[in-house]
Amino acid sequence: MLSDVTFGQYYPVSSPVHKMDPRVKILLSILFIVAVFFVRTYSGYGVLLILLLLSIIVARVKITAVLKSIKALIFLIVITALLNLLFTKTGNLVWEWWIISITDDGIRLTVMMALRLLFLVMGTSVLTLTTTPIELTDGIESLLTPLKLIRFPVHDLAIIMSIALRFVPTLMEETDKIIMAQKSRGADFESGNIFKRIRALVPVIIPLFVSAFKRAEELSYAMDARCYNASKKRTRYRKMSIHFRDIAASLIYIAFFAGVLTFTYQWFDVGSVWWLVA
Amino acid sequence: MNTAIKFQNVSFIYENSKTKALKSIDFEIESGQFVAIVGSNGSGKSTLAKLTDGLFVPTEGDVKVFDMDTKDDKTIFDIRKNVGMVFQNPDNQMIATIVEDDIAFGPENLGVPREEIKERIDWALESVGMSDFKRATPFKLSGGQKQRIAIAGVLALKPKIMVLDEATAMLDPGGRREVMNVVADLNKEGMTVIHITHYMEETLNADRIIVMDGGRIVMDGAPKEIFARYKELDAYGLALPTVASIADILIEKGMNIERVMTRDALVEELCRLM
Repeated sequence: MLSDVTFGQYYPVSSPVHKMDPRVKILLSILFIVAVFFVRTYSGYGVLLILLLLSIIVARVKITAVLKSIKALIFLIVITALLNLLFTKTGNLVWEWWIISITDDGIRLTVMMALRLLFLVMGTSVLTLTTTPIELTDGIESLLTPLKLIRFPVHDLAIIMSIALRFVPTLMEETDKIIMAQKSRGADFESGNIFKRIRALVPVIIPLFVSAFKRAEELSYAMDARCYNASKKRTRYRKMSIHFRDIAASLIYIAFFAGVLTFTYQWFDVGSVWWLVA
Repeated sequence: MNTAIKFQNVSFIYENSKTKALKSIDFEIESGQFVAIVGSNGSGKSTLAKLTDGLFVPTEGDVKVFDMDTKDDKTIFDIRKNVGMVFQNPDNQMIATIVEDDIAFGPENLGVPREEIKERIDWALESVGMSDFKRATPFKLSGGQKQRIAIAGVLALKPKIMVLDEATAMLDPGGRREVMNVVADLNKEGMTVIHITHYMEETLNADRIIVMDGGRIVMDGAPKEIFARYKELDAYGLALPTVASIADILIEKGMNIERVMTRDALVEELCRLM
């Protein structure tokens, strides 16, 4: 019942993108997100689309896997689009009926916002499709290392994240079991209005919480027994290293970022430099 | 033979509780022994397990591991390095989503160099017969396999004592056999084993059985001595291994056989009669 919920949705194939250093992938994803927020023109999105498609092809990820990630957010995208469309009052009136009025500014803004959300989701899904959760936490831990200087418990944060990821399937399985147990005692999760259904979940959530706390206690004993916090100089089994592919990918992303900025701010007339290339 | 673990007049009271979970426990365990601790629910056997590596500290008395006191904060990690603990629920003692990462957790905590961690992972997985599962996800393994991974995770600390705190309680018979075989092999190679269980079958290969009831040690001796007092065991809520009870019934009915513990031995005894 819950097993079809993909979490982290790692797409297990071998590709240069999969083999990249997670830290570089995280940083490049952030760069991509920043670029998406800078874009204000269709040509800018064109540049980002080329970059996105290039990344997907090199990552050997099926385009359908990327599109699947949009499915979860389609509701949000539609809602923001509708709000933008209906509540933008500036610009020239295009269509009017009763209290609804649509302007050309509104249409432009709607398309831009929808594109922005789509690109954000697709861009980050390339990261999660090609990076295992443990690589992600390792990468985040390594990137946050400078915070150790201000005594921020970076390592503990990383452990918390990886344990949270580790327990997602366990707790999902448990939820399934509890739902079945409650159903067998006559609990009804499928009928009634939304409030009734939410109320019906209370007898699922309470046992789930109780067992989660019990698990947490046992886990803390197991971690203590395995000498957690024994040494300040904790070593790492997993080693991350930067290879040629990381540098190449970074250069490509930076070049595209520069391209996006150029198209957005019209730093120089694109048409006038064509003779340089020709 | 030197002493691995020593309990001196140990009592223990849980926080927010008035009754003693353990009452003046006194015993020593020698290095290399295989000791089974049995008792029904609430007998205090799990509490005793957690006292052996300082997860709990005695309310009264002392617990010493290789002469180090579990109350001493300076040596607590040396104690935990020497006492490997495996718990009941395999799902609640894995911290990573990949087997090798989980086994690396202990040595990482100790600050073992990376190259040596690699060696320890391979060695630990081989010791429990799970070398093929190095890159597997524990989530997809069977209970017995998960518990063997948990044992490997503890072995990577290179402990001298292995404490199994009802580590077989949640497993099916096949999984229990897998785990017990691994533990028996480790014991043959010199590991001191303390196995806490309520399955009497699993105590057959032990050098010594300690029976607990109501927070006290009520029996302590070799398996043959303990099994001979089966009426007392019954009173403590412990059932004899099936084979032993069959043998008992047959003897009571006047059959001239030895009181044996294993199925093969019983078959042999019966064939001898024919």
